[in-house]
Formats: sequence, structure tokens, C-alpha cells
Amino acid sequence: MPPASTAPRIPVEERLFSLVLALLATDAGLTKNEILSTVQGYRQKYSHSGDNANLERQFERDKDDIRDLGVPLETIESPGQAGNNQSLRYRIPRGSYELPSDIVFSPEETTLLNLAAMVWREGSLSGESRRAILKLRSLGVTTTEPVLGYAPRVRVREPAFDPLSTALEKRTIVKFAYLKPGEREARVRTVAPLALVQHQGRWHLYADEPESGATKTFLLRRIVSQVSATSQTFPAPPADTTEKALAELDEVWNAHTAVVEVQPGSDADTRLGKRRGASVSDSGALELHYSDVNIFADELASYGPEALVVTPQELRDAVKARLERTAADHG
Amino acid sequence: MPSRLASNGRRRTMAERAQPRHAQDKLAFLLSLVPYLMDHDRVSVGDAAKQFGVPEEQIREAVRLIGVSGIPGETAMYQHGDLFDIAWDDFEDNDQIVLTNLVAIDDSPRFSAREAAALIAGLQYLSALPENADRDAIATLTAKLSRGASAEPSQVAVEASESDETLALIRESVASGVQLEFDYLNSQGERERRRVDPLRVESVDADWYLRGWCHLREALRTFRIDRISNPSITSEPITHGAKDVPLPDTLFEGSADDLLVTIDVAPGAVPLLADYIPDGANTVEKDGTVRTTVRVSHYHGLKRLIASMPGVATVVAPPEARAIVAEWAAAGAARYGASSPSR
Repeated sequence: MPPASTAPRIPVEERLFSLVLALLATDAGLTKNEILSTVQGYRQKYSHSGDNANLERQFERDKDDIRDLGVPLETIESPGQAGNNQSLRYRIPRGSYELPSDIVFSPEETTLLNLAAMVWREGSLSGESRRAILKLRSLGVTTTEPVLGYAPRVRVREPAFDPLSTALEKRTIVKFAYLKPGEREARVRTVAPLALVQHQGRWHLYADEPESGATKTFLLRRIVSQVSATSQTFPAPPADTTEKALAELDEVWNAHTAVVEVQPGSDADTRLGKRRGASVSDSGALELHYSDVNIFADELASYGPEALVVTPQELRDAVKARLERTAADHG
Repeated sequence: MPSRLASNGRRRTMAERAQPRHAQDKLAFLLSLVPYLMDHDRVSVGDAAKQFGVPEEQIREAVRLIGVSGIPGETAMYQHGDLFDIAWDDFEDNDQIVLTNLVAIDDSPRFSAREAAALIAGLQYLSALPENADRDAIATLTAKLSRGASAEPSQVAVEASESDETLALIRESVASGVQLEFDYLNSQGERERRRVDPLRVESVDADWYLRGWCHLREALRTFRIDRISNPSITSEPITHGAKDVPLPDTLFEGSADDLLVTIDVAPGAVPLLADYIPDGANTVEKDGTVRTTVRVSHYHGLKRLIASMPGVATVVAPPEARAIVAEWAAAGAARYGASSPSR
């Protein structure tokens, strides 16, 4: 074998592809040493006599990158050698790697999934959905052209989204500074992130807070620091956690009802009347649900004289104070 | 390969940082392309490119790599039988792909937990679309995605919206090629009956828009769906289809008549105004406040925006814009009467 310095440089994707092929082809698994000395992309840099620490670190990173794609790369201990790192064997079990053959997608379903992928045009989920579509296309299904063109988009503007979604996946406990509505100072929270849900156009984190022993909902836009991962992990939440998070948000939303008078024919009349769950009371005013008094007050303030909050008093005061503030700031 | 050489020389740190994602994407592509090629005894580079929505050269590059890849095998020497093989002459001369030897891979890969979650959440978000009216079909599709993932899909969800009557009508009008008619209230408070050739439905989070050719204005217009009332389908055929009118990517295009307004914003709120800040706007941060410029079609739209950000965004200039915002907010506050309830 030629010395490392003149060895041909193998592109990263060729090394990763070769690693996946090698691990798919083995039932018993391969040891790290077998991989580094024989698999394309490693073997060129492998030293039979010397130190392979760099190459080992590369292998660790490659394993993470491959697992990140959803490839179930397994580690198994050799019989009778539990705890011996050098005898660990690696493999990709075919059954957990391959899409079950009974899963097929019709052209209509494929069209819907393409639309669903289009929703994520920013943030880490755009990469995820792009790769999901690649896998879908590998099945060879063609799509039906939708009658009407759609360009849906969910924004992920909050910088906390990506680190939280990684923590969710890896089940890592995280810390961040959170500015609670109505409080002046942000406080550092340590939580186990269970779900990320968008409700009424806003992203929320549903998380266990060990300190208080409670499950809480945090508004992502009120996370005012970077999200930092700790070294602690937590057990997987039940599969229906997102439904639970959305149901709790809905419960809060349902529990808050405002009565708002709107000028007939105004923008407030047209748009507020179309909010989900909006109804008209006996007096002709709109009955509207909301989640957070501060957020809803901001929205109602935008309508200026077109909307007048009748009840509750807290919301009435909040809208009035906002309008007075804006008038004063521009006076 | 020249491209490979270029990447290890200059700008190494940047290349290294950019590499993992890039290489991961390439790996995902290779793992997806192989089963597709296996299912087709013979496929042209053009057809494969079309199926995956990628440039033909990307297919050729991937096929060249697949053609020399394989497993170490018994001898650990990557012998001929341990490698994929393709009909090279057919490939080089006719741009046709024929796999002649297969290794290791039998089927398409599963979705990752996050990939499945992204698609499931996207489907939930789209539940307002008439195409999604069949909730059972959506549930079946979601279950398939979960079962087709290598781990439990991660917990990301978007609240489902109710089926929207207006969206259903828009779709119907497109399907039958007739104009749509509705009352529309613009942000200046003017209500008009519009006749529109619908071209595309777009959305941003909870807000939905119709882009279409407006026969009243004889121009391309963007309508907020929640400002549309009394929609109905006419018998008048459309004169502009999606193929005739190129739609710009941005939902709101600037026009020469736009007004420029200087505002002060809290730094954290700048992203909320990103749509209104024109490219190359002069943005300066001083004493914890960002001074920048927003572009609006008229001050009456601006007053609503500014009134929704009390204490967070303030109009600095021109005076006319400040006055309109002040008047709007004061008129709103006045409705609560002079005898203010105690706070």
C-alpha cells in the first residue's frame, strides 16, 4: 500500500457509502479495526503499525452522520467480551434499514407528501424533508399534478427551534433563559424537551421541568438566550405527546374568551369574524378565544378604533394601554 | 476530478464546515438512487434526473461512483464480484443506466425519525386544503410514514386548520377554468367586488393568500384569504392561467410607488419586520435600538403593523406617517373612554 501522503483522496460520500454497504453486507458485524483496515476511504489512511487515532475519530463522526440519516447503525458486543471496546462489532440490520415492502404510496399520496415537504423551506426541517422526498422518489412513484398550484410555508424564525429539535431527537436536557409574559427579567430554565408544536401560528416547546416537577409550555419567541445542551438525557416521551401538547394549548385557548365589538364592515369585522371558533353573541359582538392575553392584545391593538374589547377587563386594559403607548410614542 | 482537488486547497475551514451536510445529502441520494435503478432494468439518465428532480450531471456522477463501489468481500480487497457493475458502454455511449451486478442493497431506505416528522407535521399544516378533505386518507398516510421510519417520528407538530370554504371554491374555479368573484376589503378600508383568475394559493404560517389576475385592476394581485367575503364562482372563463403569468417568488413585491418609512425597532423584533425591510436598507443599531427602513404601499397599512408592536416599533419619519399612526392609536384608545379603568 502506498504511503498515506500519496494515497488517493477518497471523497467523503464515497467513504460513507462504502461504510453503509460494508455494514449492510455483514450479519455478524465488523470490528472497528476491520472497518478501518478494509473499508474504502479508511483503508487508504490506515496504518498497520502505527497510531490510528485520527482515523478512529473520523469513524466516530461518520457513524453520527450516518445515524443522522435514519440508518440504524448498531453496536453489538462480542459474546464473552462485554465491556471490551476493541471487540465491539458494528452492523446495519437489513430489516430495520429497509422500508417495509408493504409500504407503498399512491400518486395522490406522493403529491400530498411533496406538498407537505414544501411547507418547510427554512430551518433544519427543510433538509429533512428534502431527504425524505429523495427516499420517496427512490420508490419510483410518479405524482399527479395538483389542479391548483400551492406554495405553503411554515416559518421557523426562532433561533431556538433547531437546537431544541436536536435535543428532542437526542433526548437531551437543555437550558435557556426565558422571559415569562409580564415579567421584567428572564430566568434560566432547565427542561427536558418533549415536543415542538405550532399553535395559532406560534411555535411552542412542551417540556418537563424537573425543578418544579411540572410539564410546561414555553413560547419559542420568548426564549431570549441560546439553547445549551447539558450532558443529561431523559427517557422517551409517549408517542402521543404532540397531541397532548396541542390539546393542552387548545384547552388554554378555549378557556379564554373575549367579547369584542367590531365596526361593521371593517377589517376587524372581516378578519376577526373568521378566526377559528369565533361566534357572534346576542348583543352582536364577537366572542373570540385566545391563548395569551399579551399576544392577543397586540393583535387587537392593530385594529385601532375598529375593535373594542368589552370583556375581560384584563384584556381591555392591555389593549387600551397599548394604544395609549403607541399614541404617546408617535405624538 | 477537478472539483475534488479544488475543495481541499483554499478555504479549507469553510469547506470542512460545509462538508458533512453536503456529504450526508450525497449519501442519501446514493442510497435512494440505487434501489430506483434496481427497479428499472434500463433507465435513461434523463428519466432518472426527472424522477429525482436533479441535473443530469448529478445522476452521471452518482452512477460513476456506484459503478466502482461495493464491499470489501472475503478477500477484503474489493474484488470484481464485490462491486456494483454497470453496462459501461451503454452508459458512456447512450446515456443509459443498466446495473449488471448488485451488492448489499435490496430496497429503499426507511425515513429517519426527523424526516418522517417533517412530512407528518407538513401534512397536518395542510389540512385546510380541499385536497386534504379526506381525513381518513391523511391518517392512513401518517401511519405509513411512522411505520416507514427507522425510529418513532420526533415530536414536532403543527396545529391542523379546518377545511376552508374559500379554498375549496378557489380550487373549484381553477378546475373548471372560470373566474372567481368576491368582496375584498383592502387595508385602506375600501371594499370592492373583485373578479379574479386564481393562479396560486400561498401561505405563511397561519395566514393564507390567493395570488391571481385581478380583472378590476388588470394586474397581478395578492389577496389575504381572511379578507375575502361572499366568494362565488362565475360562468366567465379565465383569461390568465398559471402558465401565462409568471409569479415572482416573493409574496409582496415592491413597486416604484412604495413609500419608505424610517422606524426604530427593538433588536429582537427585527425578524418580524423582515418582509417589509427592503434589500440594502440602511440598518444601524444604537443604544439597544435598531433604526431601519420599511417599505409600505401606503401609510394606512403601516398603522396597523406599528399598532401591533406597541413600545417595540416606532415610526421616526416622515411626520405624515407618524401622524397617521398616532391618530389611529388615539382613536382606538378613545373608544375606551377618558375614565380609564384602574390598572
